[in-house]
Amino acid sequence: MATLGASEKRIRWLIAVPMALLAISCIYPLVFAFNVALKSKRDYILNRFSLVADATFDNFRLAWVQAKLADYFVNSLTVTVGAVALLLLVSSLAGYALASLRFPYRRAVFLVLLAALMIPVQVVLVPFYRTMIATGLVDTRIGLILAYTAFFLPFSIYLMTAFYARLPRELIEAAKIDGASLLAIWWHVMLPLGKPALFTLGILNTLYCWNDLLISLLVLQSRRTLMVGIAALRGEYTTNVPMLAAGVVLAALPIVVIYVIFQRRIVAGIAVGAVKG
Amino acid sequence: MTSATETHGTATAVRARELLDRNPASRAERRFGILFVLPALALVIVFRIVPLVWGAGYSLTDYNGIDAPSYIGLQNYAALATDPAFRDSIVNTLILLATLPVWIGLPLVLAILIHQGVPGGRLFRAVYFFPAVLSSVIVGAIFNMVLRYDGSFNAMLGSLGLSPVDWLGNSNTALFALIGVQLWSTFGMNVLIFLAGLSTVPEELVEAAKLDGASTLQTWRHVVVPSMVPIIEFATVATTIGVLTSMFGLIYVLTAGGPGTSTTLPEYLIWLEQGRMNRPGYASAISIVLFGVMAVLALVQIRIMTKNAEI
Amino acid sequence: MMKTRTILLAAAALAGLATTAARAEDATLTVWDWKSGDPVTAPYYEKVKADFEAAHPGVTVNYVMQPHDQYYTLLGTAIAASRGPDLVLVHGGSQAKERVGAFVKLDEAIADIRNDVVGWGEFADAAGAVYAVPLSIQGFMVYYNKDLYTKAGLDPEKAPATWAELEANCAAIKEKAGVACFALGNKEGFGADFFLSALAANGWTDAQQADWAAGTLHWSDAPVKAVVAEWLETWKTGWYSEGANSTLKFMDEYESFMRGENAHTIGLISDVAHWKQFDEFLGADKVGAFPMPAPTPAAEGPVRMPFAGGIGYAVTRFSPHQDLAIALAKSFAAPAAMQIFFESAGAIPASTKVDTSGLSSPSAKVVLALLGCCGASIAHNNMSTAEVEEWHRQSQLLFTGETTVDGAVTRLDEVQAAAKKK
Repeated sequence: MATLGASEKRIRWLIAVPMALLAISCIYPLVFAFNVALKSKRDYILNRFSLVADATFDNFRLAWVQAKLADYFVNSLTVTVGAVALLLLVSSLAGYALASLRFPYRRAVFLVLLAALMIPVQVVLVPFYRTMIATGLVDTRIGLILAYTAFFLPFSIYLMTAFYARLPRELIEAAKIDGASLLAIWWHVMLPLGKPALFTLGILNTLYCWNDLLISLLVLQSRRTLMVGIAALRGEYTTNVPMLAAGVVLAALPIVVIYVIFQRRIVAGIAVGAVKG
Repeated sequence: MTSATETHGTATAVRARELLDRNPASRAERRFGILFVLPALALVIVFRIVPLVWGAGYSLTDYNGIDAPSYIGLQNYAALATDPAFRDSIVNTLILLATLPVWIGLPLVLAILIHQGVPGGRLFRAVYFFPAVLSSVIVGAIFNMVLRYDGSFNAMLGSLGLSPVDWLGNSNTALFALIGVQLWSTFGMNVLIFLAGLSTVPEELVEAAKLDGASTLQTWRHVVVPSMVPIIEFATVATTIGVLTSMFGLIYVLTAGGPGTSTTLPEYLIWLEQGRMNRPGYASAISIVLFGVMAVLALVQIRIMTKNAEI
Repeated sequence: MMKTRTILLAAAALAGLATTAARAEDATLTVWDWKSGDPVTAPYYEKVKADFEAAHPGVTVNYVMQPHDQYYTLLGTAIAASRGPDLVLVHGGSQAKERVGAFVKLDEAIADIRNDVVGWGEFADAAGAVYAVPLSIQGFMVYYNKDLYTKAGLDPEKAPATWAELEANCAAIKEKAGVACFALGNKEGFGADFFLSALAANGWTDAQQADWAAGTLHWSDAPVKAVVAEWLETWKTGWYSEGANSTLKFMDEYESFMRGENAHTIGLISDVAHWKQFDEFLGADKVGAFPMPAPTPAAEGPVRMPFAGGIGYAVTRFSPHQDLAIALAKSFAAPAAMQIFFESAGAIPASTKVDTSGLSSPSAKVVLALLGCCGASIAHNNMSTAEVEEWHRQSQLLFTGETTVDGAVTRLDEVQAAAKKK
């Protein structure tokens, strides 16, 4: 940007103050949750707001072992990795076809896929569950992987289609003239070219799958994912808040770390999908 | 800027079409094109479209989840028309939608400020997204303590000499408190989207405006924001869908739909009817109405997305 | 070649996922609840599982603890699809009664334990057939903080026996101890439920309670309307702290009672918000208990406590192992397991065979004495779920001043009529 006058610089510092306060409020919940997680149950009831005096890591141990979050962690990891991989493959394949191949009903297909964005799971609870049963997929991890893929697919396809539509046609045409099959073009040309968008989708879909509660509750009823395990820590009457907080911190940690490391690339990836440059 | 993009895009499309028409492989394209979208289409139809149609069927029955459903025509919809809880949930939805300018405007301003290099901007960009990764359970638990009558927010007001307000227990404030918390926990996503959009605004345009003597505010208004129109549209529709479908967790923890029905949204009502009140037929009718509202928004969104994807 | 192998490996991996996730052998009983992972109830659940598996070789008991907020949504989907758990935990009263069509009728199977266990009525249909085995007794008691009584110049050992005495105590507490008389959390509307049942226990006759359950006693009828009016009156008199509408009953209300911020609370007798929890926090000698008197008692005699079957296990109709599941439901009520439930959670068990003589808590003794002599129905258990939800809403609107007693009972009458028509 252009060089700034002194007064404008002062204004910027003034503006930064409320923005910094907002930033503090955004960090606060994690700090708060961590602080609570270090308290004993009694200490929490008596001194909810104060800084922990007598820190204990018991809650983390309890959440990890007794509430079986360790097992759930593995389940979450399996389905998240599986679903994200499938999402990337399917959306890139479909995005490639929608953006660069001409076939009948192309527009209609695109519209159907986008319309699915408007169907949240709570709107179709019972029929969705019955569909899972009818397909024999209920209570299987593969079922949850497929369900996640179906639910998060429309946005992914949209982003990939928008991304591929912006690539120079010449790249694809050149590959075709070399006599490559369309499948090979996708695999050798389009997938590598799609990396920036696939990267963004990878992160976003990881976040969605990792944090999902309702779909996982319905599909994987006798095995648990992390978020379901944490939700179950909230009992009918009592909630062991310190243990719940410990669970929340444990579950959020991987996502926060991934986000902090990759945030610049996420921004870049969204840029390619959401805007036409 | 927008029109230049479109012209460029159209030119690309025309050229592509010419190339394709000449290309002898287009029969293969036809076959493979369908083949390539098939996995996506199959998943979406089986797991989303079919259940939707199925649910629409339930909404025409007296289904109670246990006995075999019998067809009752539009009775559920007629009952909705006289159900005060449903009516209130629609009114609340309209109030919620009326706050959309804040959901878009606030992140937009923040994104522009960060983009313009406000001190600490890179840190803000990293941190603003944090609330979005936390589950609503913990966000709700925290704001329960902040907003309760003897909570920290009222304590702060008290130190300023203001009298306390029962933010979550008063019908006039509860919905806005809820909206505020949800906004706080999701605004980071829109900041990110707008930052992405800003990175595509040509620097020369901004510089040219400055050379013409435009103030910072004028530059924003006449150059930056207009060139962001497509992304603002995109974010608006995405946010709308978000607020209509992802507030259950917070409602449950913060207000349980009350006082009265002042924070009951259709989403929460569906949960109530479906679960505790065990009336899936009736719940399906509310679901279909909610879907209808979203479908209207969908028309807008599809127009934008189709345009953006150049299809 | 390489490619084929990759595909095969991928296919094998997928197949592996599918088979590891496949349902286990026939002899697994899946049990849904919202308690088995709770540290205070876990020993009980472990005991039941161990005993049952030892007695039935080859059978595995699999507890699935569901998040309580989604419990009935999940149960609904399972019932609708006729697939899922063999055994499900349900609340007594309307939640159980509105779902009996999905459960196995148990009358014959439980004939042998029928007299050893109480609370069956909350799990019975209109004709009296039983659909679940009760685990606990739920009841509503007023607990009070004796230190605050002393501070208010009241005799901490003398619990109020009439409404007038309670009112006088409340006035003294407000004035001299400087705290609210009652802790109240009504964010979810539970505060209003407990109040209704507590007042109805002594304000309504047994015949009126029966009419209430049948839907022929209406909200606008005098006994019911009096309770609604009293709900508003106590609020206006200042019995409660500000912010009742935004306070969670579980556990904000009880936590504030335990911190000594209020003198009374309407608590439970099951596994939480009960004498054991309060004793542990405030000290057993500092906690008192009494049943809530009514402003105008419907009958002569001692003040009664509303109590009934709390939670119980029902066998689903679609369970492929119904006989085993029924046997398991009965083992939950077996005296040896119940004893653990009682000792570890402090829950008053449904089994009368449990030895409670070891109790020393003064308030627990009050509860046990009332169980033996003076019971009444839990009125809010006998409302339809639609009425319960509407009462939650109206009770909040009464506090905010957005409705009147007349307005509230008129609306509730409509909901009651619609629910009974169904």
